[in-house]
Amino acid sequence: MDTAEAMAEIVGRRRPRSEALRGVGVTNLFYEASTRTRVSFEVAAKHLSADVVNVTAGGSSVEKGESLLDTMRTLEALGARVLVIRHATSGAPYLVAREFGGSVINAGDGRHAHPTQALLDLYTLRRHLPGASLLGRKIVILGDVLHSRVARSNLWTLTAAGADVWICGPATLLRGFDAWAAAGVGGSRRFTVTSDIATALRDADAVMALRIQQERMAAGLLPSLHEYAAAFALTAERLALAAGGCLVLHPGPMNEGVEIAPDVARGPRSLVTEQVRNGVPIRMAILSLVTSVE
Amino acid sequence: MSVGAPSPAGVVGRSADLELSDAWLVDPASGREGGGEIVVRDGIVESLRWLDGGAGREDGIVVAPGFIDLHAHLRDPGNEAAETVASGLAAAAHGGFTTVCAMPNTTPPIDHAAMVAAMRAAAESSGSPVRLLPFGTATAGRAGERLAALGELAAAGAAGFSDDGAPIQDGELFRNALAYAGMLGLPLIDHPEDGTLTVGAEAHDGLVATVLGLRGCPAAAEANAVARDLALLAEVAAEVPGARLHLTHLSTAASLDHVRRAKAAGLPVTCDVTPHHLALSDEWLAGARRWAWQALDDDGAARDPWRDAALVAAPYDSALRVNPPLRSATDAAACLAALADGTIDAIATDHAPHTEVDKAVEFGLARPGIAGLETALGVLLEAVDTGKVTLRRVVEALTTGPARVLGPAGVGLGGLIEGAPAELVVFDRSARWTVESSSLHTRGHGSPLLGRSLPGRVMLTIAQGRVAFEDPESA
Repeated sequence: MDTAEAMAEIVGRRRPRSEALRGVGVTNLFYEASTRTRVSFEVAAKHLSADVVNVTAGGSSVEKGESLLDTMRTLEALGARVLVIRHATSGAPYLVAREFGGSVINAGDGRHAHPTQALLDLYTLRRHLPGASLLGRKIVILGDVLHSRVARSNLWTLTAAGADVWICGPATLLRGFDAWAAAGVGGSRRFTVTSDIATALRDADAVMALRIQQERMAAGLLPSLHEYAAAFALTAERLALAAGGCLVLHPGPMNEGVEIAPDVARGPRSLVTEQVRNGVPIRMAILSLVTSVE
Repeated sequence: MSVGAPSPAGVVGRSADLELSDAWLVDPASGREGGGEIVVRDGIVESLRWLDGGAGREDGIVVAPGFIDLHAHLRDPGNEAAETVASGLAAAAHGGFTTVCAMPNTTPPIDHAAMVAAMRAAAESSGSPVRLLPFGTATAGRAGERLAALGELAAAGAAGFSDDGAPIQDGELFRNALAYAGMLGLPLIDHPEDGTLTVGAEAHDGLVATVLGLRGCPAAAEANAVARDLALLAEVAAEVPGARLHLTHLSTAASLDHVRRAKAAGLPVTCDVTPHHLALSDEWLAGARRWAWQALDDDGAARDPWRDAALVAAPYDSALRVNPPLRSATDAAACLAALADGTIDAIATDHAPHTEVDKAVEFGLARPGIAGLETALGVLLEAVDTGKVTLRRVVEALTTGPARVLGPAGVGLGGLIEGAPAELVVFDRSARWTVESSSLHTRGHGSPLLGRSLPGRVMLTIAQGRVAFEDPESA
């Protein structure tokens, strides 16, 4: 977080540029469509003067006919020292990290993790909570937790920061999380699981709404987007249950009118744009830290 | 150490000779276990003497009937890079197995008589004395739409029928397969899986899958299928006296409870479990490497590997992707208990070798399967060391148990019989060996046990009176 603060200072300059990664090959290997994360990594790497290459692969590596490991070896041979990988399969970065000579940064893998998103969420929350502390703060993650790597990474990150984390959504999208809550994150850090949105939001200090995808209806997990919105959308009315000044976050992209009402998404408590902005110093910090370790 | 290195040229297939005066003999067929001596000359068991107060010790050199594997994938024809009949039989011999039942999901599948003949011919020409018993498919092309030519397959020597990894979902067709196989006197072997619950499944539906973001395969998927199978079996068995159902690689406590009740009710059902479902659990996917029985708390619940700081390896090792998935430590304990109490009839390896191309990929894209023929004995001896199951019970489940499941094809298998061609394995109970690619005969890539030391080094395997494997160090 301290490194990110220093990076934010660089980003704030009229000509944001550091020489920290000059000559370092950073390759963004994205097997899934992504706008904000990919661009954010690219901007972060450029601010640090790295040599950035973007690779987007349609479909899985298998469909492409080249294995993920072969693609990695190719990119390594072409000078990649840092590989930023986004992949639809949980755990894919571990496969790459096993054989890659440089550093691997997980830019989101399947349902498993999106660590840089969770770190930028933490950074954003710290900037707005008194004393820059999440200790004892009630933070609600709302929506499709089951499929969300953002939710999982935030469970690790926010509980580590001492927050009182609640997850809330329809029962079908919380499957398995009761057992995790009982065991605790990392075997000890408890959180609360509920489908009762009023209880979840009461006195909350921050709410993070998650994207609801159309596929969930086809999979029989939800009756309709309309019903979801009626029961779980983050609206101004529901937000009134939370603590005064409750912060609103969303990892994007947003379905306004589904999981979040437009007036809330762009309201005075919304940090959605700032989250995007904060992604850059966080990723600069991560890039500079992993390369300085090498 | 050259354990498992290829046997010296010319050894395999040679008529076997053996003379042990201080061995520990385990013979489930006669219900005996104890010190004794055994002499094999020119492939025939010349003498077998039980010596009360002899020098043989349970933790010394053990002689047991050759093991029978009810469930192995030899990949031949169609995927010879993963395994061939010859390499599969060599792996079997190295694991102490003298009889291997080959699952019919080859390419093309073993769904017509000529394929059975071809499999038997391949075994013959491999030079290995290990007996290969091909299973035929239950439905044509394993498509689950109409019966395969079961009668012709049986006439050609199929030992049973199974669609294994593509289990028959259609209840009516399953019932007919059971009845028709029963009429032929052969077992129907089902891989019980309710496919509507396992679309895209990557791991056991539990805490580990939730944390790792893997799509869950619920225990209910197996229990559902087992319950359906047993309900149909109850009806079919009332009409077709020969109907027999064998449920393979059961992995959950709930399924085993169903089987226990069905057996108590007298239904003609048998089942097997794999060594990996007994000894490994889903926490291995997160990076734990302790045995399943070490992952239980005092109440028998699975411990949290994160709380225990038990994660010692990288997560998502695709060598651990297997179907059914590695279950909770509680399920593994239920499997071990069911083995001990006899609910489980046999231990089968579900030996499922794959190439590096199919395994060195993202976890969720890796082909499911563990190549287990050569590590089965070592893993099982680790279980014996817990005291929760006896050596004799394990040997039973590797010999007379599967022989009974096979019925006609198993007659005469699984015993130490004086005057008969030797069919046995000799292993050193306390000699440990390290599982390494170079020490394995399978072509399969990436055992999850690589690097691990296991007890019970196999010194000699004799099948049909001939040497199938001989450890060069103990020759």
